[in-house]
Amino acid sequence: MPLRETNIVSGAQTKFGKLEGLTLREIFAEAVDKATIGAGVPKEDIQAAFIGSFIPEMLVHQGHTAPLLADYAGLRGLPATRHEAACASGATALRAGIMAIESGLYDTVLVAAAEKMTSVSTNRATEALAAAADDEFESSMGLTFPGVFAIAAVAHMQEYGTTEEDMALVAVKAHRNAAKNPLAQFQKEISLEKAMTPRYIAWPLKLFDCSPISDGAAAIVLTNNERAKQYTDTPVKIVGTGQASASMNLCDRTSLTSFEASVRASRIAYDMAGLTPKDMDFAVVHDCFTIAEIIASEDIGFFKPGAGAKAVREGVTAMDGDKPINPMGGLKAVGHPVGATGVKQAVVLYRELIGEAGANQVPNHDTALMHNFGGTGATAVVNIMRRADA
Amino acid sequence: MSETPTIEQYQKYIQDHDFHALKCKSCGAVIAPPKGMCYSCGGTDFEWTAVSGKGKLVSYTVIHVAAEEFQEETPYFVAIVELEEGTRITARLLGLDPNEPEKVKLGIPVKLGYETGKSGKTYIGFSPA
Repeated sequence: MPLRETNIVSGAQTKFGKLEGLTLREIFAEAVDKATIGAGVPKEDIQAAFIGSFIPEMLVHQGHTAPLLADYAGLRGLPATRHEAACASGATALRAGIMAIESGLYDTVLVAAAEKMTSVSTNRATEALAAAADDEFESSMGLTFPGVFAIAAVAHMQEYGTTEEDMALVAVKAHRNAAKNPLAQFQKEISLEKAMTPRYIAWPLKLFDCSPISDGAAAIVLTNNERAKQYTDTPVKIVGTGQASASMNLCDRTSLTSFEASVRASRIAYDMAGLTPKDMDFAVVHDCFTIAEIIASEDIGFFKPGAGAKAVREGVTAMDGDKPINPMGGLKAVGHPVGATGVKQAVVLYRELIGEAGANQVPNHDTALMHNFGGTGATAVVNIMRRADA
Repeated sequence: MSETPTIEQYQKYIQDHDFHALKCKSCGAVIAPPKGMCYSCGGTDFEWTAVSGKGKLVSYTVIHVAAEEFQEETPYFVAIVELEEGTRITARLLGLDPNEPEKVKLGIPVKLGYETGKSGKTYIGFSPA
């Protein structure tokens, strides 16, 4: 049974990148203001705030962030809770918001997420990210986040013949799309040769296979059917949602070439929506690394296992292809303030679906899917959205 | 060898160069790293077991940018190895050149060993058999 009541009526993000001179709460408040006052939703209408942030304890030495952020953004007094699922923090906050609306507990809620990563060194940020892997059995022997995806890449290359160049093509596409996105961290196209620069982070993944360290925030307002029309003529309905978990350890996965939580979450979301991959006009997937986009495009059923690289080579996932993926530039080129990413993905779907994605507008935009995953793929969230008038 | 296995003892065995896995008392499945339940049969009673140390290489990477604690050890291999007993563990790769990762072949037989890094920690590792 598709979800019935959840409508997105506004969505906004800050610029992503190194936002010098701005702290976590200021970035958060900027996104909230844009998605509320800036979009014609009075803050007084908001009844609860669901907030995503991964690891402010290590990155900005701040815990208990939800009331702090809500207070700074002018939402003092509301129930405000932080949701943490590593890089899927944003999408798990969104699911909490969906459940709040579907249950009828609230009429209108805010889902917002933020991360401030650039105030610490790269090694310190790497260490904070590694906390999303299993500390006792994997991080403790020096396995890093890029290392996790490098291990998946090596397995995918061996099993399906995927190449380093195929992965580099994902980066080239991401930068091409982000070049037109004024909110992206990297607004510059790169050549295949540049994407192949052999500066290894975790072999075979190179610098340009990796999403950057970023600051940023995003926010959306969810409301029920009765209220939606008072805010916008073009609400977007969330019709299906799925979440799944998997073992944290890569060594406990039956497959290294597919992320089982992504497969499970997407099947749940499709079943709930009563839709199939064929019904999707485009997708926004979690391309924290180039190989992650290739594998995600297979896991969500857009392409069969092993066919993701070919789809990239043939331009199927380009903005003008049959199945555009990450039309605004993805995590890779727009940036990846980890906890904020899942909400930013929802903002991208919202803007594309209502036809307000500017130079990044995809031609067909009735129905789409977002895929957000956390850490080593131990959490995956998939949401399917459709413009209410589609 | 009869005490209830703990993660602390599992780690200590590695530090002592004496790797032990868990064995499910119900179905005999060999499990490492430790789990709270046997995913083969649902059992929750375990005992220690020694392993043959033979395995095969499933996948690997070479870390160049590491967390601060490990940066001095870069570049180094991290691999997934399937033990002869069926379970898979994450480990270092030993006796191979991390500057020539493309020469390593998946599926090769490997043998359990140990390595003490500059961090002072002892890692479980595997070298070509």
